[in-house]
Amino acid sequence: MKIEEVIRTVNQMKAHGVIANYAIGGAVGATFYLEPVSTLDVDIFIDVHAMAGSSIISLDPIFSYLRERGCKMEGEHVVVSGWPVQFLPPTGPLIEEALARAVEVDVQGIPARVFTAEHLGAIALQTGRAKDKARLLQFIEARALDRSRFEEIISRYGLADQWQKFQQQFLGS
Amino acid sequence: MNFDIEQMVTSKQAFRRRLANLPIAEKLHLLDAMRERAVAIRSANQRQRIQAHEQPPDYGKKS
Repeated sequence: MKIEEVIRTVNQMKAHGVIANYAIGGAVGATFYLEPVSTLDVDIFIDVHAMAGSSIISLDPIFSYLRERGCKMEGEHVVVSGWPVQFLPPTGPLIEEALARAVEVDVQGIPARVFTAEHLGAIALQTGRAKDKARLLQFIEARALDRSRFEEIISRYGLADQWQKFQQQFLGS
Repeated sequence: MNFDIEQMVTSKQAFRRRLANLPIAEKLHLLDAMRERAVAIRSANQRQRIQAHEQPPDYGKKS
């Protein structure tokens, strides 16, 4: 069970043209900036192109590539090196931007593309579940966010009200 | 053992900072280890749940 193997596999998928680009998000992405938090799966956001002559995005090429390499499907996950991995196409402009502006981090010689801390924070605010709010709070407490860059993203994506509410609720301001 | 709550909070924060500042490869290994433990706990819970929901004994029909 190794996340490093997951990253290596996703890099191979990119090298073989199965995906155009990718970035690690969710709890694993947050671990690049914060203390590790237990998680059961790996969220990989991918840049996929619609099939020729269609507006439908298909994840089939990803699944068949991984199946050919012995990976099993488990619901909406593909199990890669013991980790359930979820491949997620962007669901909105914030995630599209996060994917485009992801940063490359070296993991013992393996390049890994990860969302920036500010984008992870903004996505957590937008998603708004209890665990997302807890994660955003962790980013703030750890001073892992560039506050002006974060607030610039927040205002560009219409999240100012949510940010204000969050601050009132958790930061007493 | 010291029950000074302020000291506990301070040392907890310091511990979290130490974890956050570990090299990323080490943090990913910790995630691997945490998941292994979570999976083990989950399957143990499922086994218990199966025991908790086993078929009730048949006491026979009321006459």
